[in-house]
Amino acid sequence: MFVQQLINGITQGSIFALLAISFAVIYGVLRLVNFATGATYMMGAFAGWLTVQYVSRNIFLAMLAGLITGWCIGYLIEKVAIKSLRGVARIASLICTIGFSIFMMEIATVIFGAETKAMPSFFNEKAFTLGEVSVVWYQLFLVGTAVTILLLLQVLIFKTKAGLAIRTVSLDFKTAGLMGINVDRTISLAFSLGGATAGIAGVLGSVYYNIVNPTMGNLQGLKSFSAAVFGGLTSIPGAILGGYLLAIVENFGVQIVSGGYRDIIGFVILVGFLLFRPRGLLGKKTSL
Amino acid sequence: MSKVLKGVLFLALALGMVCSVYAGGKQEKAATDEPVYIALTAPITGDYAEYGNNFKRSVEMAIDKINAGGGVLGRKLAVLVGDSKGDPKESATLAQKWTSDPRIVAQIGDFTSTCCLAAQPIYDQAGMVQLSPTASHTKFAQGSKWSFSIVGTQAGEQPFIADYAYNKLGLRKIAVIHINNDWGVDTARYFTENFKKLGGTITAIENYFDGEKDFTAILTKLRASNPEALFMAAMYNDGASISNQRAKLGWNLPVIGPSSLYSEQLLKLGGDAVNNLYTVVSFFTDDPKPEIQSYVTEFQKRYGLKPNFHASLAYDAMMLLADAMKRAGSFDRDKIREALQATKDFPGLAGSITFTEKGDAIKQYTRVMVKNNKFELFDKR
Repeated sequence: MFVQQLINGITQGSIFALLAISFAVIYGVLRLVNFATGATYMMGAFAGWLTVQYVSRNIFLAMLAGLITGWCIGYLIEKVAIKSLRGVARIASLICTIGFSIFMMEIATVIFGAETKAMPSFFNEKAFTLGEVSVVWYQLFLVGTAVTILLLLQVLIFKTKAGLAIRTVSLDFKTAGLMGINVDRTISLAFSLGGATAGIAGVLGSVYYNIVNPTMGNLQGLKSFSAAVFGGLTSIPGAILGGYLLAIVENFGVQIVSGGYRDIIGFVILVGFLLFRPRGLLGKKTSL
Repeated sequence: MSKVLKGVLFLALALGMVCSVYAGGKQEKAATDEPVYIALTAPITGDYAEYGNNFKRSVEMAIDKINAGGGVLGRKLAVLVGDSKGDPKESATLAQKWTSDPRIVAQIGDFTSTCCLAAQPIYDQAGMVQLSPTASHTKFAQGSKWSFSIVGTQAGEQPFIADYAYNKLGLRKIAVIHINNDWGVDTARYFTENFKKLGGTITAIENYFDGEKDFTAILTKLRASNPEALFMAAMYNDGASISNQRAKLGWNLPVIGPSSLYSEQLLKLGGDAVNNLYTVVSFFTDDPKPEIQSYVTEFQKRYGLKPNFHASLAYDAMMLLADAMKRAGSFDRDKIREALQATKDFPGLAGSITFTEKGDAIKQYTRVMVKNNKFELFDKR
């Protein structure tokens, strides 16, 4: 049974990890928490659902749709909430991302209706069964895809010029600007990247849970935020670690204590880390 | 200059208020072409939005039907809709708004027991009928003489379901999963009590909170307790999610649950995973009765989807209220309450309604099951 809980945790953790990265990429460059991440996750899921419903029953196409939607939303949020509000107190941008989150939720309710939609399953056959432990192919696919995306992001950030720009801006964006880095474009790129990972996570999550609805991102967004804080908001490997660890701890918490306590576990971790180790497990000490 | 302007503005505002109070006072003897207002409190947005929208659809449909038939006592009816978002605070705020509006004669709503209980003291103090289509918590209707519920309480429904599980399905060991709110706790408690009374065993009880999407951990834990069946005190959306994730875990067993699971949505969202599910209903869309069929076809024609149990209850609530006003022969809030209390064998879509002294409806239930992704009558087999 512990093996089953571990598998449950790893599957759920993949979704948390992707969302935590979305927080970390944006927080890294701008020291700003993007509270519209949960809503972007939801919009990505809707994009995937529309694709599956009206274009073709293909999960890869759905993921592409989620990616593009997330990318565009990230870009748009940056243009409205960040760029036009730069120079104003940072709190204005923060509130603006919350506004975006509510706005997207209401828009989705108006367009798609409040009813929960069914997302079809993919690869739902049994992969293997070991005693009482059973795993379907989709769980392996989900974890595999998440890990691939995480690796690609690592390569992008540590091996490419755009990634170098992101890292430089995250160290000090004034100096980066003086060094000839296009700070605006880098911030914009970080937001789009963050949006895109959240969008893909939305498609992956909605297929795993077989549901799409306008409020699906709320709890996921909050929990993955605490995962990101857990792992370290400024560190991408930290965010990944935080995502997986949080999910695994939560699942074992349910096993050992009770199902009612699972959210408590997640948020106690959030508060605990904010109090005693605000930089998280792997985060850098920031001079802010 | 600006001080003068402010002063003028203030005077104008004060004058406006005085006028509106005056107008409010005059409303008592309003012209008969002014409609009679009913308030509807429902979660139009938020986690429970689809239930709230069904309330709105059904109530609007009922009002159109009543108005087409000449209205009530020669006056047309109109509805004012308030969005409680499934939030008890909002529900209480709306109650303040409704009770202070002299045009409103009675209120229908809210959806969850929690919201209804939060708003209850306000209706009680102001003296306005609070008629909830769906609040099934045992404390609700007995909490105030102004509160009525037509769904029937869990104290009435669960003994029937426990009997269904123990005697009809022959189940002896059951694990329970329930949502952790007023309704879920109540439902799980009445089921376990009654099932134990019959001689059954409850192997484990687990709960989850509103908005939870991942049930695999809870299910894995319940599975270890080795039950023969799972009792699921959940709304149909969560019910479908729980079933899907149960199927992914490769855990196949019969599932039983309260009437809140009965919905086309359960089949749509759950697919094959919800087969072998047993529940009870007091409203069944395939019921051949002509009034039910005409309601179902009209609902489908207007909104493009099939009504469910909750929708039919909201329709019943509106029809019942109109009936009570007719019997009272008045739109007086107090007289409406008296007439409502005296309701006997009102022919609703979801079974006939008779109120107990405390304001709970006594209901009859029908056993149904899901087979080949369709709801079927259990006893017809």
